[in-house]
Amino acid sequence: MEYFTLWRAGTRRHKGSLAGVFLLMLFINLALGTVLTLWNNSGSYIRSEMRRAGFGDLTAWVHDVPEQVRLADEIAGLDEVERVDSQRVIYADYTIKEQESDSQGQLIHLAAEEDRYRFFLDDLSGYQEKKPEIAPGEIYVSPSMVSMFGLQIGDEINFAVARSGGNFSFQVKGFYEDPFMGSSMIGMKGFLVCEADWKEIQRMIQERGKNALAREGAMLHIFSDDRESVSDLNRMMNENTALSQYTEFIHSEDAIAGFMLILQNAFSGLLIAFVFVLLFVAMVALGHSLSSGIEADTVNMGILKTVGFTTGKLRQIQLMQYLTAIVSGMLAGFVLSVPVSRIASEKMITTTGIHVPAGLPFEWILLSDLAVLLLLILFIFMKTERIRHITPMMAIRRDGQVQLPFPGKKVLCGIKKNALYFRLARRQLATAKRLYISTCVVAVLLVFFVSLVGRMDSWLGRDGKGMMDAFNPADHDIGVQVFGELTAGEAEELVSSYTGITDSYLLAMPNVSVNGTSYTANVISEPKRFHMMQGKTCQSEDEIVVTEFVAKDMDVKVGDRLMVQGDKGREEYTVSGIYQCANDMGANIGMSREGYLKIGQDNPHLWCYHYFLADNSVKEEITETLETAYGGDVHVHENSWPGLYGIISAMQVLVVFMYGMVFVFTLIVTVMTGSKILAAETKDLGIYKAIGFTSTKLRFTFAMRFCLTAVAGSVIGIFLAAVCTDSLVSAVMKLAGISNFASHPGLGEMLFPAGVVILLFMGFSYLTAGRIKRVAVTVLMGE
Amino acid sequence: MSTGNVLLQGRHICKSYQQGNKSNSVLHDVNIEIYDCDFTVIMGSSGAGKSTLLYCLSGMDSISDGKVLYQGEEISGYREKQMAALRIKEFGFVFQQTHLVSNLTLFENVAVAGYAGGERTAKEVQGRAEELLTRMCVGDAAMRFPSQVSGGEAQRAAIARAVINHPSLVFADEPTGALNKSNSEEVLGLLLGLHQDGQGIVMVTHDVRAALYGTRILYMEDGKILDELAIGEYEEKDGKETSYQKAREKKITEWLSALHW
Repeated sequence: MEYFTLWRAGTRRHKGSLAGVFLLMLFINLALGTVLTLWNNSGSYIRSEMRRAGFGDLTAWVHDVPEQVRLADEIAGLDEVERVDSQRVIYADYTIKEQESDSQGQLIHLAAEEDRYRFFLDDLSGYQEKKPEIAPGEIYVSPSMVSMFGLQIGDEINFAVARSGGNFSFQVKGFYEDPFMGSSMIGMKGFLVCEADWKEIQRMIQERGKNALAREGAMLHIFSDDRESVSDLNRMMNENTALSQYTEFIHSEDAIAGFMLILQNAFSGLLIAFVFVLLFVAMVALGHSLSSGIEADTVNMGILKTVGFTTGKLRQIQLMQYLTAIVSGMLAGFVLSVPVSRIASEKMITTTGIHVPAGLPFEWILLSDLAVLLLLILFIFMKTERIRHITPMMAIRRDGQVQLPFPGKKVLCGIKKNALYFRLARRQLATAKRLYISTCVVAVLLVFFVSLVGRMDSWLGRDGKGMMDAFNPADHDIGVQVFGELTAGEAEELVSSYTGITDSYLLAMPNVSVNGTSYTANVISEPKRFHMMQGKTCQSEDEIVVTEFVAKDMDVKVGDRLMVQGDKGREEYTVSGIYQCANDMGANIGMSREGYLKIGQDNPHLWCYHYFLADNSVKEEITETLETAYGGDVHVHENSWPGLYGIISAMQVLVVFMYGMVFVFTLIVTVMTGSKILAAETKDLGIYKAIGFTSTKLRFTFAMRFCLTAVAGSVIGIFLAAVCTDSLVSAVMKLAGISNFASHPGLGEMLFPAGVVILLFMGFSYLTAGRIKRVAVTVLMGE
Repeated sequence: MSTGNVLLQGRHICKSYQQGNKSNSVLHDVNIEIYDCDFTVIMGSSGAGKSTLLYCLSGMDSISDGKVLYQGEEISGYREKQMAALRIKEFGFVFQQTHLVSNLTLFENVAVAGYAGGERTAKEVQGRAEELLTRMCVGDAAMRFPSQVSGGEAQRAAIARAVINHPSLVFADEPTGALNKSNSEEVLGLLLGLHQDGQGIVMVTHDVRAALYGTRILYMEDGKILDELAIGEYEEKDGKETSYQKAREKKITEWLSALHW
C-alpha cells in the first residue's frame, strides 16, 4: 500500500515530466511501430503476392521465340525444374503526356479465369471486389506511374507498335497491383489490356514484319525443385536449353524482390536509425528528469529514510513512476501505429506500386518494445543510484531548498553592462552546465541526424542527379546519340553553341550474352568513369566489370572468368571488379571500348556521346533544339529516369517527417528540462524581479541560455555530420546497391538544420519561460 | 508626526488570500503614509500582517482593495513594466534571507541592479558598487560568491544592492531576522547611516532593539495599524550610546506595553 501511496504522490508531483516522458515514448513507439510494420509487411507481402500470382524462382523474359511451348517444355524437362508457367507479353515503347518511356512496356492480357493480379479502387483506398472487365481501348497500369509520369485515370498512353503511324492508344481505366514490376524503382512496366486489343497489336506486329517496333514474347516463370540453387539452375538452363537465344533478361525472385523493396528498405533503414536517435534523445530527457526530480525530492526521500524506507524501495517507487509513463506511452504509440501505418501504406502506393498491409507484426514489435523497455529499466536503475547517497541529515539541513550548482572559482565571463542579458545567460550556463547538458546532447543528435538526411537530400538534388549518377554506369550532364545523316560533330557543335563542353566520353549499350544469358553491356571509352564498388575497373581489354546483381545471379566474384558473346564473336574475360549501375534492374556488365570491339561490331550509331556542360542549366534548351532540328535522327537524354521522382518525393516526405519529429521532440525536451530549471531558479527569478528586471527580459535571458546551448550542440552536430555522413550513408547505401555517395552541401544547406534546431529551442524555451510571469516577488517573503 | 512630504500612501488597503473556497483576510482597511527621508518602522506580532503590508506598499504584492500612491500617483494598478521601472529607480529592497543571486559575486549582485537601471555608464555603476561595498565593509569580499561569505556580509551586500540606484525608499523586511546580534547591529548601523544621509527607509521588524533606529514606529495587529509613535531621529552621542539607547528602548517598550504587546 505504501508503494501505491508514494507512487500516486510522486506521479502527481512530477506529472509534467511524466507527461513529457509519455509523449516521447508515444512518438518513438508510433514511429517504430509504423516503420516495422511497413518494412516487415512489404517484404513478406511482396514475396507472398509473387508466389500467389504465380511468379517463379526465376523469371525469364524471352522474345521472338518460334515455338514457345516447346521451349517451356524443354526447360521443364530439366531435373532441377519443377515446372514452367508462361505469360505472353508484347514489348513496346510507350509515351505518356509526351514523355517517352526509358524501358519497353509489357502488354499483358488476362484470361477470364486468371486471377493473377488485384485491382485497386480508383482512389487507391482498397481493392475492387471483382476483377473488372477490360474493354477495348482500356488499360490498367501500376499506380507507381502516378509518381513516375503524373499519370491519372483517363489519361492516354501511346504504344509504338510499328513505324509510320503504327501507334496504338489506350485510355487509363484504373490501377492494378503488380508485385513484380510495380515499384517506381523499376523502369519496365506491365500493362493490362483486353484480349481483343492484345490480339490486334499482335496482328499489327505480324503484318508489319520488319517495320514492327513492338515484339512478341513471354515471361517464363520457372519453378525450381530446390530454391537454394537458383544460380545453378540459371547456369543449367543456359547450358542445356535454347533459352539463352531468346532471353531479354532473366532474374531470380530475390533480385526482383530486392528491386521492389529497395525504396522501402532504404527509407525504413533511415527511419529506424532516426528512431534510435529519438530513443537516445528520450533517454537524455529522461535522465535529466530523473536527476532533477531526485534533486527536488531529496528532502522527502531523506524523511522517508528516517521512517524506514530503504534505498531499494525508493528506487523501485521511482521506477514504477517512470515505467507508468513509459509503458502507457509505448502502448498509446503502439495503438496509434495501426492507423498511421494504414495511412502511410496508402500514401506510398503511388511510389511502391503495392498496398502494404497495415496489420502490425506483433512478434517484431513485441521484441523491439521489450528491448527498449529493458534498456530504459536499466537506465532508470542507473540514474536512481544517487538515491543511495541521500541521508536524513542531508535532507534536513537543506530544508527543502533546491540548491543550484556552486559556480566554482573559475568564472568564465564577467557581468558587465554591455550585453548584460547575454552575459547573465552565459553565466547561468557556465555555472549550471549540468542542467543544460541534456539540451546540448539533444541538439547534437537532432542536428546530426537532420544534417545527415539533409546531406542525402542535397546529394540527391532537386532533379535527382546524385541518384542518377549512382544508377548510371558513369556520370554525365547530357547524352546525344545520332542516327541517319546527322554526324556526332554536327551535334557537338550545336551543344557547344549553348555552353562549353568541359569533358566527354562515349558510351554504347549493346546486348551481349554472358555465359549464355543476355545482358546489356555498358561499353565505355573511359572505364575509369565506372562507379566501382569492389576490385578495379576494366582497364585492359580482357577484363569486364559486373554489378552485384549479376555477380549474385551468376554466382561469380572478382577474379572469376566469364564467356561473353557479342555480334562478332565470343571471348573469355576476367571479372576485374563489381560496379554500380541500376539499368535494367542491375542486369548489366561494364566493358572497355577495346574489350567490346574484340567481340562486337563497331558502328558510329552505336555510340552515345556523353557531355559534361559548363552551364548545366541550358541542357533542356539544347535537348529541345536538337530534337526540333534533327527529329528522329537524334536521341537526347538527360541524367534522369521516371522512377527518380518517386524517390525524390519519398525523400521530401522523409525530410518533412524528420523536421516534424524534431519540432515535437525539441518542444517536449525543452518543456521538460526548462520547467525543472525554472522550478530550481524560482528564488533567483524573484530577486531579479525585485531589482527591476521585467518578465520579458528574464524570459529572453532564459531563452538565450537554451539558444547558446543549442548553438554549441548544433556546431558539434554539424561537425559530426560533415565527418561521418559520407561513410555512414555509404555503408547503408551499399546495402541498396549505391556505392558512390559523397555529399557536397552548400553552406546554407549545412546551416539550415542547425538554424531550425536553434530557433526551435530558443522559441520553445521562451514559451516555457512564460511561467516567469507568474513568479511573484513574494517568494522572497520571510513571513 | 513627521513633517516631511508624503512619499508613499496606502489608502484603505485590504489584502486577502484565497485558500480553497475560504478567503483569508490579512490586511483590513489599512491607511498609511510614508514620508520623504523618514525611517519608518513597522512592528507587530507574528502574523499581524506587517510584511504583507510592506510588500503591498512596495508593489511586490497585489492588493485586494484600496490604493497605493507614490508621489501622488496610483501605483497599485501599474503594469509589470511600470512596476519594474519603479523598482529600478525609486525602490530598493532588503529581505530577511539575504536573497543574493547565487551565481553572481557580491560585486556583481550589486552592479547588476545598477546596470539594469540603464541611466548610468558601466564605469559609474562599477564605481558606485565598489564605493557602497566598501562603505558596507565588504569591499574585501566583493569578488566572492554569496555561499562563500557570512550571512552578515551577504546582508550588507544586499543593502548595497538596494541603494545602488539612489532610491527614494528602501523597504527592509526583517533585515536582521536571520543574523546574530553583532551582525544585526552592524547591519542596523549601516541602515541608520544611509538614513542619516537622507535615505528613506521602511523597515519591518519585531525586534525592539532594531526599532530604536527608526524615527517613527507603527504598530500592527490583526491586519490593522493600531497606533504609531514618533520618537525622533536617532542621535549618536559620543560615549553615551548605551544610556541613550536604553532611554529610547524604554520609551518604545512602554508604548508597546500600552498596546498589550
